[in-house]
Amino acid sequence: MTVTDQTSAPISFRPREFEVLADGTGRLLGSRCRGCGAPFFPVRAACSGCLGTDLETIRFSTTGTLYTFSVVRQSTPAFPVPYVLGYVDLPEGVRIMSQISGCEPDDVKIGMDLELAVEEFGTSPEGAPLLGYRFRPLAGRGDR
Amino acid sequence: MTTVHVIGVGMTRFGKHPDRDAADLGAEALLEAIADSGIDPRAIEGAYCGHVFQGMVTGQRILAQVGMAGLPLSNVENACSSGATAIREASLAIRAGEHDVVAAIGTEHLTTRFTGALTPDPSDPEAAVGATMPAVYAMRARRYMEEFGMTREQLALVAVKNRRHAASNPLAHFRKEITVEEVLESRPIADPLNVFDCSPVTDGAAAAILVSDRMLKRLGNGRAVRLAASSLFTGSVDTEPTSMTFEPLTRKTAEAAYERAGIGPEDVGFAEVHDCFTIAEVLRVEGLGLFGQGEYPAAVERGEADIGGRLPINPSGGLLGKGHPLGGTGVAQVVELVRQLRGEAGERQIEGARVGLAHCRGGKAVGIEGAACTVQVLVR
Repeated sequence: MTVTDQTSAPISFRPREFEVLADGTGRLLGSRCRGCGAPFFPVRAACSGCLGTDLETIRFSTTGTLYTFSVVRQSTPAFPVPYVLGYVDLPEGVRIMSQISGCEPDDVKIGMDLELAVEEFGTSPEGAPLLGYRFRPLAGRGDR
Repeated sequence: MTTVHVIGVGMTRFGKHPDRDAADLGAEALLEAIADSGIDPRAIEGAYCGHVFQGMVTGQRILAQVGMAGLPLSNVENACSSGATAIREASLAIRAGEHDVVAAIGTEHLTTRFTGALTPDPSDPEAAVGATMPAVYAMRARRYMEEFGMTREQLALVAVKNRRHAASNPLAHFRKEITVEEVLESRPIADPLNVFDCSPVTDGAAAAILVSDRMLKRLGNGRAVRLAASSLFTGSVDTEPTSMTFEPLTRKTAEAAYERAGIGPEDVGFAEVHDCFTIAEVLRVEGLGLFGQGEYPAAVERGEADIGGRLPINPSGGLLGKGHPLGGTGVAQVVELVRQLRGEAGERQIEGARVGLAHCRGGKAVGIEGAACTVQVLVR
């Protein structure tokens, strides 16, 4: 961990699940069981596979494929509609719920390749911008 | 160990009750259940009250309303399975030999607690990225359509069926039939689901009086219905991504109930299942083993799930038609089962109903298939 200028350091909207690195990229965080290898999102205290408690915190890959999705047209005031919500399968064997951005809702397809993007995700109680994650179509894929 | 019997049920009209609160509704349902059972209210030894958003000690407020405070009472919360969990807890207290007569109540005054789409608890990582319950089920619907070729019209037919059933239920939130076209043209909520694919925001309460074998013998209640099984499970933590078009949690909970009741899915004559959304009914009945996987949409189209069909599903109108006051729902399902099994369901009576099943499934927590699932089997 390098300590950078704290006043300008990016703030993750959910530091337990999402780490914003100094270079501005982000990583989803989870656990892997050192006993049986089972992966988990988010971080867990024990493994549901073998019930072992020797878990390491891991950073997941930043690419995945879309399992399914919906265009959300009614939500809470915190989330202006419409937005695309999906489940993204990551290579480590976890399925992550995420908004899908960077393309028109009509262009979202089950099975499409996606990559994680760091995007603004609301503000802190003090008014500082918070950084969260959305998945976008993988650069160089599709007809973008 | 004793078996458990339901000797009385009560239920408010489901809908909007702007001038009443959750305790008022619970009290009305409880008084009706007591009157229906014919039991002296002084014989009731304990109570369980299921609710989700009603705040502290709602069950005590209900008992105070009807002059019955002073009993052991537990409020239980298990999201949309809260009322069903109250039934189960009541049955366990009887099976354990602690009590002979227990009241189970479920209530919710939902219209004063929120509007719009229900979301997981704000602490949940999925809530933080914009999860809503309709969106979660919409995603499952899209996947089911992709895997099994279900059409949008077939999905709409679930709502059409349940609204039709509700039209003959005087206590239902919705009393008007709707068409497939009306479902398809209703307000979009989360593609492919429209507002008529979603259960409404409903106020309502239901109650049941449960007794032991020995109390039933003493009372000699000829209208009693046996609670042959009441199972509850929480979802497992996934160690790999699993299908979202099949419900292992529903299957596991059903199998436990079938085993306890000594029946199989082929013995079930009708069922009330947790149709919070049209797609949910599809996933439930297939998870319960009542229909084969991928086969329910066509079965609905053929009328098999209608009252009068091969295996009526949600004769009360279900959550889509009767309404879904979260904590009230699981108890209201048992009310419907009891009335059907007694032959007191009026216009919507299922001929020859002998074994009824009720299924609830509620709550969303990251990484687990479902938070709380219940199955009750009632036998006449």
